[in-house]
Amino acid sequence: MGNEFVGDKPRRYITQNSELITIFIMATVKINGKEITVEDGTLILDAARQAGFEIPTFCYQARLSRLGSCRMCLVEIAGQKKLQPSCVTPVLHGMEIFTQNETVKTARASMLEFLLANHPLDCPTCDKGGECELQDLTFKYGPRQSPFAERKRRFHEKDEILSPVIVKNHNRCIHCERCVRICDEAVGAKALGGIGRGAMLKETSFLNKELDCDHCGNCIEVCPVGSFMSLPYRYKSRPWDLVETDTVCPFCATGCQLTIGTRNGSVLRVRSKIETGINKETLCARGRFGYDFIQSEKRLTKPMAKKNGRLTECSWEEAISQAKNKLSSAKKIAGIASARLTNEELYLFQKLMRNVFRTNNIDSGSRWTDKRTTDALINACNLSEGGTSIFEALKADLIFIIGSSISDENPITDYLIRTTAADKRKNLILAYPRRIKLDSSATISLKHTPGSEDIVISGILNALQNQAVKTDGSQVSESDIATIAQRMKTASTISIFLGTDSLRFANGKEMLLGIANLAKALKASGKNIKVMPLLDRCNQRGAWDMGVHPSFLPGYKKTNSDGMDCTGILEASSKGEMDAIYIIGEDIVSMYPDAKFAKEALSKAGFIIVQDMFLTETAKMADIVLPGASYAEKEGTWTNQEGRLQRLRRALQPIKAAREDLSILSSIGGFEYKSARDVFEEIRKEAPGYQDISFDSLNNTGVLVKGHGAEKQGSRGQGVKGSSETKINPSNPRTLEPSNPYLDDYPFLLITGNHLFHSGRLSQKADVLKRLLPESFVEISDKDAAALGIKEGDRVIVKGKHHEAVLRVRVKQGSLKGTAFIPENFEDVPVNCFFKKGEGIPRVKISKQ
Amino acid sequence: MFEPILLKNINTADSHRIDVYLKNEGYKALSSALKMQPDTIIQTLKDSGLRGRGGAGFSTGLKWSFITKDPTIAKYLCCNADEGEPGTFKDRAIIEKDPHELIEGMIIACYAIGAAAAYIYIRGEFAFGANRLEEALSEAYQKGFLGKNILGSDFNCDIYVHRGAGAYICGEETALLESIEGRRGQPRIKPPFPAQVGLFGKPTVINNVETLACVPHIINKGAKWFASIGPEKSPGPKIFGVSGHVKKPGLYELPMGTTAREVIYTHAGGIRDNRKLKAFIPGGVSAPMLIEKDLDTPMDFDSLAAKGTMLGSAAVMVMDDTTCIVKVAMRTMEFFRHESCGKCTPCREGTDWTYKALRRIESRQGKNGDIELLDRLCGNIFGRTFCPLGDGAVMALRGALKNFRDEFEFHVKNKRCMV
Amino acid sequence: MNLLKKIFFIDFIKGLSLTFKYNVSRTITMRYPDEEKWLPYQRFRGLHTLNRDSQGRELCVACELCAKVCPTQCITVIPMEDVGTDLKSVPRGISDRIAKVYEINLVRCLFCGFCEDACPTTAIRMGRDYELACFTLDCAIADKKKLLTPRDIPAEFEGGFVVKAKFIRNDEGIKVKPDLSKKKRWW
Repeated sequence: MGNEFVGDKPRRYITQNSELITIFIMATVKINGKEITVEDGTLILDAARQAGFEIPTFCYQARLSRLGSCRMCLVEIAGQKKLQPSCVTPVLHGMEIFTQNETVKTARASMLEFLLANHPLDCPTCDKGGECELQDLTFKYGPRQSPFAERKRRFHEKDEILSPVIVKNHNRCIHCERCVRICDEAVGAKALGGIGRGAMLKETSFLNKELDCDHCGNCIEVCPVGSFMSLPYRYKSRPWDLVETDTVCPFCATGCQLTIGTRNGSVLRVRSKIETGINKETLCARGRFGYDFIQSEKRLTKPMAKKNGRLTECSWEEAISQAKNKLSSAKKIAGIASARLTNEELYLFQKLMRNVFRTNNIDSGSRWTDKRTTDALINACNLSEGGTSIFEALKADLIFIIGSSISDENPITDYLIRTTAADKRKNLILAYPRRIKLDSSATISLKHTPGSEDIVISGILNALQNQAVKTDGSQVSESDIATIAQRMKTASTISIFLGTDSLRFANGKEMLLGIANLAKALKASGKNIKVMPLLDRCNQRGAWDMGVHPSFLPGYKKTNSDGMDCTGILEASSKGEMDAIYIIGEDIVSMYPDAKFAKEALSKAGFIIVQDMFLTETAKMADIVLPGASYAEKEGTWTNQEGRLQRLRRALQPIKAAREDLSILSSIGGFEYKSARDVFEEIRKEAPGYQDISFDSLNNTGVLVKGHGAEKQGSRGQGVKGSSETKINPSNPRTLEPSNPYLDDYPFLLITGNHLFHSGRLSQKADVLKRLLPESFVEISDKDAAALGIKEGDRVIVKGKHHEAVLRVRVKQGSLKGTAFIPENFEDVPVNCFFKKGEGIPRVKISKQ
Repeated sequence: MFEPILLKNINTADSHRIDVYLKNEGYKALSSALKMQPDTIIQTLKDSGLRGRGGAGFSTGLKWSFITKDPTIAKYLCCNADEGEPGTFKDRAIIEKDPHELIEGMIIACYAIGAAAAYIYIRGEFAFGANRLEEALSEAYQKGFLGKNILGSDFNCDIYVHRGAGAYICGEETALLESIEGRRGQPRIKPPFPAQVGLFGKPTVINNVETLACVPHIINKGAKWFASIGPEKSPGPKIFGVSGHVKKPGLYELPMGTTAREVIYTHAGGIRDNRKLKAFIPGGVSAPMLIEKDLDTPMDFDSLAAKGTMLGSAAVMVMDDTTCIVKVAMRTMEFFRHESCGKCTPCREGTDWTYKALRRIESRQGKNGDIELLDRLCGNIFGRTFCPLGDGAVMALRGALKNFRDEFEFHVKNKRCMV
Repeated sequence: MNLLKKIFFIDFIKGLSLTFKYNVSRTITMRYPDEEKWLPYQRFRGLHTLNRDSQGRELCVACELCAKVCPTQCITVIPMEDVGTDLKSVPRGISDRIAKVYEINLVRCLFCGFCEDACPTTAIRMGRDYELACFTLDCAIADKKKLLTPRDIPAEFEGGFVVKAKFIRNDEGIKVKPDLSKKKRWW
């Protein structure tokens, strides 16, 4: 057989050996008399834009599928009778194209005339007015008057409220279907579609009812007119009144670029810019609508100190000097910093703890168990070797995602993977116990028992090495494992995405070692392997890079003596050994996977300083509370999960008397840094990977951090290396809790993590997000629900060994039987109460109320 | 008198039953086709000169030959039975009265292009026809003409009936594919053409009912016999559906190239009450209308194209001198406005506002400049729409404006109707 | 002839006759501000007004075009959604969008009338009040309430008269309240 077409791209051919080869043929075309040589198959639109000719469009958007419906981009091609839409027509060698002649100009004007014929001219009251594409193009190309006399079509007088965040005005719609396509192709929610036809066509939700979707608001962002609008931003301002600041989203480690719009010192909206950042105009609900926590009334605005057992407001001088005295006089101290702080703050924090107060007892994050597991993650993902672009990783033939509810934890990474997986030649393999949105795009989706990831991975490893596969205890079929191994064998590049569930489960270490071994084995067989972490805190990777870790200095240099990790600190504290603990931005009592233990431990600590934006459960136990700043109120940098360094820019001054964390740290340590830039200069010296990056040149794309070269210096974490050599025996995987005494009494394994609308406890302070998901829930599979006779929305009692809660049920079709999920975000349902240190994944019982 | 070929069985009792069909040499063509090479069948079709009966008149053999010969790639055949063009009712007769003729043609077509599955996309309103087809299919399955190893060969074929939901646009081939796939019936971008990327992303042939019904006859009687009927460039029998102000409206199967005069006056019995012919539409409402002096035009693809109109589905609609052309134009545009899918701007807005302008003229509120506005709107729509629906709407209006401009002007000027 | 003129004081009489003519004609001194006031023509550009429609709804939709076009940037508009639109209460404005804040800084305003031209709903109009003097700078900022208050001179009232008026001086400033029923031509 000869070369056959694949899809509509004539550049890709499959040879007889079913290999895919891409042939680049250049085509020379003449556009408005100017000759230009482009790759064959380039769209006329792109070629014309390359040649410097502008072509207006509505329905075209680079990342979406081609529609060719708005007909704004019509161009004339010599020899063709009809005008052709340039956004769907590829160039052919020798084509002569006219984009600016009279025929084309009249066609454009006539399209605008048609679009405006039914478009209400309510620009004065439309939120889009001032940044509307229809407005702009009409001014540029349009007719100045309309020949039509009849009434415009009008669907409704009042705008339709489709969700707590989305308003729709059908009258203004110009049917470019960008909303439908972004919802379908990038977000994967498939919540929008057309109803009716002809002039009465409406792009709206199913049966025009309230949307039950991701509420991501990407439809608002892509809408060229004011048909989709944001409800929280509705009638708040005009675009030209807003001062816009480009910064980075704080809610997960994907690191989306967003733009905060402020007017007179209040945040009015967050939007994303087209083709900017790795998110390329998409955001999720929490990024786009979770901004109101910045100016929440619950924010701490003044320092507080404990007097007579009660926290009372005090002056900054008093608070700082007291903190300073206590920290320097204490014998044994420790520090825990949130992975939501900037690199500069984290660097300064570890410098303060190490150089001023002489301790290595520092850790970032308190949501998982021990440092050996985090070390294993750092090792498995080669974090010390610098950043890997996610776009590079997504070019792989096979993408394997394990240990992450990626659609909830890292929604934008989910979008990027979905768009990539639309290419049917790619294999997407997903392993996660719950059914998640990305499952619909996956070639194979494994539903394994929570905590049995190591069995799955060692199974794949065995299958790769043609050994017997045993998957006992993981509920995964051996044939699936064999298929995965087969696909891995045929793929030449593989990207493994590793989620934070590996840090949440008791056997996470085994899983991470398994991944490291798998990567090693695949690499040994000549494949190109990339292991990417999927992290839940925006600067988790930066925190490790900056050495906020008991055994690493900045740049993963080994410390002389290892300090204590979070668990170690709490254990020491529970014995009454900790004289002072300095906690920044971390709510240990609510997040540590054993609430009772954490609370007891902290209550025995000598002195607690908490620096946070809100009065958290932990802050309530503190002796001194220092009000810090939110992401919109500070300058600095964050390193996202890829290792991409991105710049935060200040949109507002810290609320009332709150201060930037950097200046608080400086005053406690007596440092003399004027700005984040000064600290960054020092980071460049300390962390080799940051050496070549200049703070001022950080733009919207960010810069990938380079390798820290720690290996060459021979000082890379011995603990990490040592543990990677303790190889698990792949042919004899451990059985899963065979003698668990509660197995029958408590049939459900409880897994937890972030919900799509929330991230940690931070997003709980955002009222809009609370409106999207007002109360917590427990999610079980449809099979379990049927067996228990529970319907969606019923109230059930979730009873664990240590805690019980009454929750509403959500039934998820296709989740694994015997798993229950409760989001970790809700204050009224502290899910960490179900956990007990050392017991691993908690088991629960679910019964009807 | 021309002996009907496609409609020869329709007056037989129980003509839709397989027994009756088998008695009239039914499925003989299938058994002889299965002994032929697929390439030979395609060549026979090419030699016969059969052109698509759906409207565009593309050579059927050529269309089939575009399909890849790679046996590893699944292929599909779709029968376009979404007979939505106003005035057209020819396919309905075949479906309801002689479904096996269609099914036999489809099986042969599937064999020729190597498709193992075929879909009949039937218009939603044809509930009776759909039931007839289902019955006929189950009969054919029982007799072994469908399913696995048809007539002892190693050829397998399944045919499914898919009912539309009432949209004219689904008669457009790519919108039809979208609709079968379960999506909103909207046309797709071409290229890629369905012959490369069609139903479910696979190479697909889409043929009209009447085209497929011709296939068994060509196989039975040979390409030469077929090519000898009618003019050289568009041979074969053609079913003319005559409606409107004639004495005997109905279906008349005649050779291609029969003149309009013969169709209307000889076969359909002339104009009712022996009135004067004012205008006639030769092929469904998208075709521009013709007037009395064009009556001697042969009704075939090329001769009508030379007159600036088209054969389309050969639905001849006759209007006598009591007809108000402005009203005809308005009603036609109302149809297109209602049926526009709304995907592309010029068709969605253009048909809507053209209709509104025509309604204004018709309801005696026309203003000076309205006819120029219509001209301008036609120019803005024509050639700029996504699919031919918009073009069809404009062609119909342009036909009316060309031949009866004075009537439009009279409406605007005198605020009343001429007739 | 010249002699005769000199003898009979012709020029003098001529001059005096004019004087006496004016003596008996209508006086042109306007007793402003104590008793009378000049009412300007409709084209006059004085203190702005925010108008309502016939049903009493605010015409302003807070589109901020006046603020945008203002050369001195003396207009501040902050819009909001008109939420008082449950079934019982009457909407305040003609659309869902209404001004939360509408302020004109009269000290900066140069009364060019651009805001009037820019307004898509004829909500803002230049009125005919010209007594803008006040004792504190606070009253130099005209807020929404002040702008919405109906004026002494209705928009449709034809100007170009002198009318009887009353001089009022209080803490807010000075004002001359006209009595529109007693109007007269100035000359």
